[in-house]
Amino acid sequence: MVSTVSVAKPFRGLGGFVGMALDTFVCMFQRPFAWREYLLQTWFVARVSLVLTLMLSIPFTVLTVFTFNVLLVEFGAADFSGTGASLGTVNQTGPIVTVLVVAGAGATAMCADLGARTIREELDALRVMGVNPIQSLVVPRVLAATTVALLLSSLVILVGLAGGFVFSVYFQHVTPGAFVAGMTLITGLSDVVIALIKATLFGLTAGLIACYMGTSVGGGPAGVGNAVNETVVFSFVALFVINVIVTAVGFQVTP
Amino acid sequence: MAQRLPRLGKWAQSFADSVDRIGGQAQFYARTVISIGDAVTRYTAELIRLIAQMSLGTGALVMIGGTTAIVGFLTLSTGALVAVQGYNQFSQVGVEALIGFASAFFNVRLIAPLTAGVAMAATIGAGATAQIGAMRISEEIDALEVMGIRSVAYLASTRVAAGVVVVIPVYCVAVMASFFAARFGTTVYYGQSSGVYDHYFYTFLSTTDLLWSFVLALVMAVVIMLVHTYYGYTASGGPAGVGEAVGRAVRTSMITASVVVLFVSLAIYGQTGHFNLAG
Repeated sequence: MVSTVSVAKPFRGLGGFVGMALDTFVCMFQRPFAWREYLLQTWFVARVSLVLTLMLSIPFTVLTVFTFNVLLVEFGAADFSGTGASLGTVNQTGPIVTVLVVAGAGATAMCADLGARTIREELDALRVMGVNPIQSLVVPRVLAATTVALLLSSLVILVGLAGGFVFSVYFQHVTPGAFVAGMTLITGLSDVVIALIKATLFGLTAGLIACYMGTSVGGGPAGVGNAVNETVVFSFVALFVINVIVTAVGFQVTP
Repeated sequence: MAQRLPRLGKWAQSFADSVDRIGGQAQFYARTVISIGDAVTRYTAELIRLIAQMSLGTGALVMIGGTTAIVGFLTLSTGALVAVQGYNQFSQVGVEALIGFASAFFNVRLIAPLTAGVAMAATIGAGATAQIGAMRISEEIDALEVMGIRSVAYLASTRVAAGVVVVIPVYCVAVMASFFAARFGTTVYYGQSSGVYDHYFYTFLSTTDLLWSFVLALVMAVVIMLVHTYYGYTASGGPAGVGEAVGRAVRTSMITASVVVLFVSLAIYGQTGHFNLAG
């Protein structure tokens, strides 16, 4: 008996997650929409993520630009470092940093907050009063995570490009004009659109995972801590997979 | 002063608090690092237990293969990214033969260390914060002190030492996974001949770079474990407080780890980059 329970456990979790995700999508289109909660959560996620965005996108881009420039200087093509910077930032570093920010900051904070409400039995109280917690708490949170992820990804790209520019021009002595001219050589509108699509999917998935983990917290003082830990791990895994798939599909779709 | 200028007083108070916090953190880190010797000699059993637990994970994470599997899976996906992004971008300029070089160069220097660092923060690190935080709020740490056990050495130093031990096999898996995924994606999915791939891959795979990338992983493991044990050790505010501490620890350690990677790689590779295309 014990063995069947432990074998079935991950599947039960997966099933619960899919069930909650479907509930959330259905509730998204039902009135009334919790506007106040949506705005509060958007502000909350944005506030939590902002510092991490700035602090992560600068080292990641500088590192990418540095590694690219090592290569380009060796080829004698340092003038193209703007091309490398924009390629790396828009196509890969930007989305990856967005993953880290959305999953590491937004989802953890959201899961900790929801988990605290769950163990204080606030969700049960809501149900008793006839309020659907999915509609009043989960839907606004998932949408808030999606909105913030979309907005953050543009911030990540901008900060990254600025960081790459400063590093290339002032530390590696690339001509500023050549850097700016090279930026749009390979990277175009389609790449930016794909980056934004990725960010939207990241926000949606991370929000759903955080809300599922937060609402299914149980057991003892370690419960919320473990839930937050699992949120980070599962959302990293999910978002990295989404990143690979969307990148591959993006190359097939765009000419 | 505080009564006459309340806003200034509050600002000064919060500034003093944050300086205080930095000092407290530095003190905790120093104590943890100094006590590592104690932890290895006196709490060997606990150290070995932690090594086993960290490499395989706890709770629900065991179901999907533990820390090693998760780190391997994440680097597998970033390695696949090298194949997807690199192959398409290189074939635009007609040099898709060089994708093996991209795998040997970018995976070792950039992608594998950063991905492994982030994955370690999420798995081992966040797990440590959750465990120690739960002990703190159920007053188990006070009980340890009462029993005469040095709590910093027993809880924090053992975890830092275990992290350093665990990171070596985990990072091996990470690097192998990223190489394998890049090769598999390029040769099987995009259909490049494996001879071409292997030729450029082995030509540009540098043993020195690989060793330095292990150094990066070790440094990151120490930094991540220090940050995470600190946040767990100082958790407060009940079960909800532990959750918040885990979130805050993940944020802080990701920032610290990436900044450390940046500076260490600048120090290792320097201005010139230690790279010779000619071999």
